[in-house]
Amino acid sequence: MPRPHPRYDALSLLQARFARARYWRPLWGGRSLREGYDVVIVGAGGHGLASAFHLARDHGLKRIAVLEKHLVGYGNVGRNTTIVRSNYLLPENHYFYEDSLRRWERLSRDLNYNVMYSPRGVVDLALSDDDMSSLARRGNAMRLAGIDAQLMDAAALQRFCPQVAPHRPRRFPIVGALVQPRGGTVRHDAVAWGYARAATALGVDIIEQCEVTGVRLAAGRPVGVETSRGFVKAERIVFATAGHTAMIGTLLGIPLPLETHLLQAIVSEPIKPLLHTVLVYVFPGHGETYISQSDRGGLVMGGHLDGFPSYTREGRWDRLEDVVAGAVELLPQIGGLRILRQWAGTNDMTMDGSPIMDRLGYDNVFVNAGWCYGGFKAIPASGAACARFVATGNPPDLIRAFRLSRFASGHLLDEPGHGPFPVRL
Amino acid sequence: MTRLVCPFCGARELNEFEFRKTAPQSSGSALARVYLRIDRPDCSIEHWQHALGCRAWLLVQRNPSTGAVASIRLLGADATRGAR
Amino acid sequence: MRSSSPRCGLRLRDQPLSFSFDGVEVPAQAGDTVSSALLAHGIRLIGRSVKARRRRGVLTAGPEEPNALVTVGMGPALIPNVPATQLQVRNGLAVRSQNRWPCLRWDLASLLQAGGGLFSAGFYYKTFMWPSWRSYEPMIRSLAGLGSAPQACSLAGASLEHLSCDVLVAGGGPAGLIAALSAARSGARVVLCEREPALGGELEFESALIEEQPAMAWVDATQTELEARGVRVLLETAIVGGSNGQVIAHAEPGGLPGNNTLYRIRPTQLIIATGAVERPIAFIDNDRPGVMLLGAAERYLARYGVQVGRRIVIFGNHNRLYPAAMRLRAAGLDIRAVIDTRTPAQLHDSFVAGLREALIRSGVACLLGHVVTAAKGRAAVSGAQIAACCEAGRASILSASRHVACDTILMSGGWTPATHAMLQEGGSAQYLDEVGAFIAVEQPPWRVAVGAANGTFELAALCRQAGAAGLRAARSVGKADCAPAEASGRGDPQPDVVAMWRAAASRADEKRQFVDWQNDVTVADLRTAVEEGFCDIEHAKRYTALGFGTDQGRLAGVLGAGILAELREQPIEQVGVSRLRQPYHPVTMLSLAGLRIGNALRVERRTPLHDWHAAHGAVLEASGLWSRPRYYRTSGGAQVAQAAHEEARRVRTHGGIVDASTLGKIEIAGPDSAAFLDYVCLTRAGTLKVGRSRYAVSLREDGMVQDDGLLLRLAPDHFRMTTSTSHAELMLSHLEYWRASEWAARAVTITDVTDAWSTIALAGPRSREAVLGVLEDRSRAAVSVLQHMQWTAGLFRALPLLVLRATYSGELGYEIHCPCSIALQVWEALVACGMAPYGLEALDILRLEKGYLTHSEMTGQTTPYDLGMHRFLQRSDDFVGRALLDRPAFHEPARPRLTGLRALDGQSAFLAGAQLVTIRDRSHPCGYVTSTAFSPVLGEWIGLALVARSIGLGESLIASDPLRSSETPVRVSSPVHFDPSGERMRT
Repeated sequence: MPRPHPRYDALSLLQARFARARYWRPLWGGRSLREGYDVVIVGAGGHGLASAFHLARDHGLKRIAVLEKHLVGYGNVGRNTTIVRSNYLLPENHYFYEDSLRRWERLSRDLNYNVMYSPRGVVDLALSDDDMSSLARRGNAMRLAGIDAQLMDAAALQRFCPQVAPHRPRRFPIVGALVQPRGGTVRHDAVAWGYARAATALGVDIIEQCEVTGVRLAAGRPVGVETSRGFVKAERIVFATAGHTAMIGTLLGIPLPLETHLLQAIVSEPIKPLLHTVLVYVFPGHGETYISQSDRGGLVMGGHLDGFPSYTREGRWDRLEDVVAGAVELLPQIGGLRILRQWAGTNDMTMDGSPIMDRLGYDNVFVNAGWCYGGFKAIPASGAACARFVATGNPPDLIRAFRLSRFASGHLLDEPGHGPFPVRL
Repeated sequence: MTRLVCPFCGARELNEFEFRKTAPQSSGSALARVYLRIDRPDCSIEHWQHALGCRAWLLVQRNPSTGAVASIRLLGADATRGAR
Repeated sequence: MRSSSPRCGLRLRDQPLSFSFDGVEVPAQAGDTVSSALLAHGIRLIGRSVKARRRRGVLTAGPEEPNALVTVGMGPALIPNVPATQLQVRNGLAVRSQNRWPCLRWDLASLLQAGGGLFSAGFYYKTFMWPSWRSYEPMIRSLAGLGSAPQACSLAGASLEHLSCDVLVAGGGPAGLIAALSAARSGARVVLCEREPALGGELEFESALIEEQPAMAWVDATQTELEARGVRVLLETAIVGGSNGQVIAHAEPGGLPGNNTLYRIRPTQLIIATGAVERPIAFIDNDRPGVMLLGAAERYLARYGVQVGRRIVIFGNHNRLYPAAMRLRAAGLDIRAVIDTRTPAQLHDSFVAGLREALIRSGVACLLGHVVTAAKGRAAVSGAQIAACCEAGRASILSASRHVACDTILMSGGWTPATHAMLQEGGSAQYLDEVGAFIAVEQPPWRVAVGAANGTFELAALCRQAGAAGLRAARSVGKADCAPAEASGRGDPQPDVVAMWRAAASRADEKRQFVDWQNDVTVADLRTAVEEGFCDIEHAKRYTALGFGTDQGRLAGVLGAGILAELREQPIEQVGVSRLRQPYHPVTMLSLAGLRIGNALRVERRTPLHDWHAAHGAVLEASGLWSRPRYYRTSGGAQVAQAAHEEARRVRTHGGIVDASTLGKIEIAGPDSAAFLDYVCLTRAGTLKVGRSRYAVSLREDGMVQDDGLLLRLAPDHFRMTTSTSHAELMLSHLEYWRASEWAARAVTITDVTDAWSTIALAGPRSREAVLGVLEDRSRAAVSVLQHMQWTAGLFRALPLLVLRATYSGELGYEIHCPCSIALQVWEALVACGMAPYGLEALDILRLEKGYLTHSEMTGQTTPYDLGMHRFLQRSDDFVGRALLDRPAFHEPARPRLTGLRALDGQSAFLAGAQLVTIRDRSHPCGYVTSTAFSPVLGEWIGLALVARSIGLGESLIASDPLRSSETPVRVSSPVHFDPSGERMRT
């Protein structure tokens, strides 16, 4: 058993500073795959690692493995635009994401790892009175649920974020905004690393480069998973394989209401602080740009899905151009800055845009999926709820609405009203 | 790489085409047709429209892991008059 | 200070210029870059590093430059982070150094260096969390970032150009030129992009002959021939990305945005000849001003006639150190030593051995099996520490070291082929030991790399390879008219690189062995990463920021991988390299936005009456992509509310017209059109008689209401459907989809006629007079007897139009469909008949008074049951959306129902977006307000709402609007607020 990683505090930092030999240890890894586990979690992304952490910490489970095809945090947890918020319309969604946001607020201390939660505000811009009404609908629902939200007219927005200059003439004038002050950003990679470290310290085995290729049944009941490193016994199996969940359904012979789509993000060259909040700019003609500035100084931007199913992680160029066009229209002052690079994540898009947390075909197989493009902000709540579900067998109230049967029953969670299309028809 | 060739207009840039939806399963309930997907990393059967061109609907078979187009034809091309 | 006589260089013209650096005038010559002029002027300290604030000078002569980034301009419209190596001097240019305060020489934040490794990799994650990150973030943010943030932008937008060609050649060095020549001579249409302002690449300094001509003479001749053959040669144009077979190139003339062009190129074949990037080597204080890449020194000399130093130590691991030393020496630089890390046994090229002998004879110390362990000097290099390494190519134990005084250390650790464009859309990287770098393999048939980009450095081999590739590319597009370019070349020797990443150093000194200059990543950081388990290249990259700079690790990515391999004690093949992302070179945002800037972000749609509206006091607003009148200033009120109330009142008392041309109009024709519409709409079409119309609703496949409009039967097998403005495209696709799929075998055609017909809607008690007033006598009779929802053909000045009796306001009303060409005449005639125009605000009041739906209610989340459309569901046949309509949740008491709302006190305002709560439970909404308006005829605020079915008509609720600090008691009412029996529209 490897030595646990030292706790981070003033003393350990000092010791490390003056240590002669190597002081820090690997945050995770160094464990060998055991024969069997109480819970095998497939996927060492944010959701899988958080689930493992909570299973170990909150429910005292000892034999937990997280099996990862590639590397810890190689998937969407490190390929997003790092925004966290709970400004959702539907109660099933905003209560869940608010639980998540409250966990983000204390996550650095919970994990003893600085995930750099930065509550800089998330600003949804309104371009018409209609936009103001629908943002008000959402914001009022949030406020009644005890979630922070402010509706700003152009003058208030000018004070909150002068960089936007709402009075500047534009193709689509900015008339106001819905602002969630506690929304903001988190250093994405740190989330994966922090959870991996904390889970490892609690005895979770994180096994990288171990691909799950199938589920073995005995007498019609799953008894473990086939992996690239051989068979692993498992009492319970959790799939947390965002971006590849639809394939998992196919693996089990269970079609899911999921498609896999690509979402790109881009970052500019780093500059001194320019933007102190997160701006979300949705404009007619399928335009969308959201933009924030990372602590390193780059302007991080994203927009729509690429628009067709893809596992390539290589985005289409014209999408980047449209995202940048929106950014330059919103903030003309950044027009002379340069884009440094693009990246893309594969998103499992459900047919109503909301997640799925449920059993999958069998009593002891769970799926934590369908986070669409909102999976990052969900990680802390998802991990806690998933762990409770798996440990107790009962889904906590917070995720009851995320059941798979909702499509058949009609209890859809279609936040934007787009219907059963990841890409609007 | 995804390169679509419209049966009417020939090879055109991708941004002229809109992916509309994954082809529904031919059999099964309405629920399955509307919501459920058989997702394979090597083959995806899709409905596209040459929206900024001749507006033809296309049945496209593609490999979503590479983007390569395996086949492309007019949607409903195999339907015969009066079949319905 | 250097001599003031003009310098000679390939790129220089004899024209003096001057610019300012940190406020000091610097002389330059036309053709100079800022870095060449500064170096020529003896200025070596150009910036400070972002984290440790260490003094930095010029490291390269290309776009990979990590250190010499400058800010151009002073005021709010400054441009930060411009590589001085790319920025061409123009008169009056003002550039400033970055990351220093108060000045470059004395920087306050550099005191942080005293903390030493405090800011080493991973430090942030371990601290700054007590009490919260937020308490440190502003300070840390202000230290991070490179240059200052602009507050404005005064640049012009970029141009966009589309090109298509048989063969696109990326790179205008020897390989690119030969490939382009070969393809062009074979008859292919060729485009050649070169990132630099001049062709030639390495030939600018390499001692080479091509076709027995001096290399640069050959380059000039080749350029002439290429242009004569119609090859489009794009200089200062770099390939930056692309997807799906389209290649994107970007031109930023002079290295400064302002006159940029983005090219979208569609080649059939792509030849990558982008060369290779010279690699640095990690040794102690290898970031001091005065440490530079060897190739950069040669470029500065050849291009700009700049001697980068006086006393030089050359340090590297390959054959080309020697010809470079010869050339620099011949130009008058004092070469103190050539330090080659390879052992004598590894140097087996006799030509190189001969060069080495010659250097030794002329007094240059040439040491094999040695390394530079450290650069000496604080502010700039004053010497090199040299030691023998016992094991070649490895950072192992060193023998006693010695000091060589010098002012410049030129390093060269081999080259990294610029494979980035080869790893997009297929392709993988493979390590080649003989090159000491990765090349791209497994390429698709339309793409190939040649020359240094493919790991081929020696000119003769490169010429053969490039010529063959050009010919192959031409053949593959069916061109092979004549003999290809069989250029013969002779140049510098095969490099014979023996991989060597860093000189050995103690743990403490590893903190000063830089691997990625821009992000201050050192060997110590990589060691920390490995110790903490971030062994994988991707993990190490994210943990240390290696390769996160503006060059994306082109300069030092492989160096980092090599050091990581050493620390992990594994071969570099197992470590791999992190893949470069698009764009391969930074691209100015204005270039990406292209034509979509300002009002062209989205093209504005205008109706044929747009100019009339504008000329008659309309306040126009964006409604989706359309521009539509919100109200008319001439209506009797400066405020929107006053004007809209007046317009709405006038419709009810007198009459008014509104431009409804934005409505979608789709014609459905053919023998099966009625059956088809029966299937795709909730509303029955088959039972509709010719000459009549019907309110038409369509559902999405999941049963939700998609859109509403009117359906007119023009002939037994010919219908026209109108759709809402916002759903026009959606409805067109909806109809086209079902026609193309399940109805493919049936006789139905669908035609979008939205842009062919204008729609003018008139309403009010006087509307009949008006419509009759503009029609010709012979069509008046038919129009005068029109019943509600009937239509007839009419004649306007002998031109046919369609008159439909229908209403958006509950008044007697007509909708005139006329060809867009006569819309203005019809409109003006109606105005002349006393119809006053009204805008969207009044339209909204009028429809709300009648409880008519808009997209505020048809949100895509509401079923026909929710919206009170039960009567349409009395059908036994199948239609789109039916199968999923009977899901249990759709019939629960919690589902919403469309209702009206009135303020309990009859006067208070309440607004759309308010949530509805009961007095007992004020935190769980039972509905929300979809739209509201003050009704001038009723004299109070009215609204529509979606309210849980369990709430009955007449019940009291609270319209809770905490965002706008209002709580209004309201009563649930019928959605029809005005004229519930519908008498007025049937008069």
